[in-house]
Amino acid sequence: MSVNPPNSLRELFLGFLSIGARSFGGVMPWAHRVMVEEQRWITEADFAETIGLCQFLPGPNIGNASIVFGKRWFGLSGALVAFLGLFGLPFIWVLALFALYADFAATNETLRAVVTGVGAAGAGLFIGTAVKLGRVIARRPAALALIAACFLAAGIGRVSLFAVLPIAFAVALVCARRGLL
Amino acid sequence: MLLELTLYFMLLSLISVGGMPSVLPELQRYVVDVKGWIMPEEFMQIFAVGQAAPGPNVLIASLIGWKVAGLGGALLALAAMCGPAAVLAWRVADLWERFKDSPWRKAVQRAIAPIVVGLILSGGFILATPGAPDWRLWAIAAASAAGMLLSKMNPLWLLAAGGVLGAVLL
Repeated sequence: MSVNPPNSLRELFLGFLSIGARSFGGVMPWAHRVMVEEQRWITEADFAETIGLCQFLPGPNIGNASIVFGKRWFGLSGALVAFLGLFGLPFIWVLALFALYADFAATNETLRAVVTGVGAAGAGLFIGTAVKLGRVIARRPAALALIAACFLAAGIGRVSLFAVLPIAFAVALVCARRGLL
Repeated sequence: MLLELTLYFMLLSLISVGGMPSVLPELQRYVVDVKGWIMPEEFMQIFAVGQAAPGPNVLIASLIGWKVAGLGGALLALAAMCGPAAVLAWRVADLWERFKDSPWRKAVQRAIAPIVVGLILSGGFILATPGAPDWRLWAIAAASAAGMLLSKMNPLWLLAAGGVLGAVLL
């Protein structure tokens, strides 16, 4: 399959704009559709590799991906243009939706119940994601112990992430170097 | 308040390994428990709107900024949550490529995975438990987790089903 990177900043901007505009129910599938299938900017393997990197870096995965790809093709201006294209429309929509919601929710009991239900379902999606990712690695006892410890500390104990993350990472790195993970 | 929020988000940006899902417990702890800027139920509703709207879920940070300090807060919160991490991504992208076969890179990847899983699990638990434990919210969360694991449908349908269940149960 031949790839065909964007020729201009305008093309880059419009591509990321169309990712952001359509990203109902998750951005990643749309990023894949636009960049790999529709525009053919990059190959499947390249997409997977870059997303893999962005999942290990701090920050929003897809936001980081826009920076990495934008930089690759057009340097700093590419990174900025891709980022702005990605976030421009969703930023406006989420604020508008929330303003609308806040207007009606004050007086409408049912709307509040619906939105709380949506929130609980969203929480369920997180739990499902954790199970999906966890299934792959939890065969190792050390990995299972780390998952449990992080959950107990951050989820139940409400310990600050600024304490949990450095400690957990140091322990996990030692485990990984000894072949326990 | 705006300055405080911005600086906090910039710090959070740098430790947000695994993206927004894994920092939600910390975010909730800070803006609800420590600062009291946002009520527990409100936090869940902000999250719900952020999930239902199209776009990256880091926009939840914008909604919190909006709630605390209006439009300026929304813009600054997004910039602060993405900026430091973006600078890091900018620097690291080439480096990461160069260390493709290094044992350290593999160790880092293996080390981060279980931590991210534990944190995302925490995020789900905290969002489903905004006040005292409520079996109805847990049931909705469990149903949507099961739906996600057992089918390949667009998550929007699961959120919609959660809304319907909310109207019926709550």
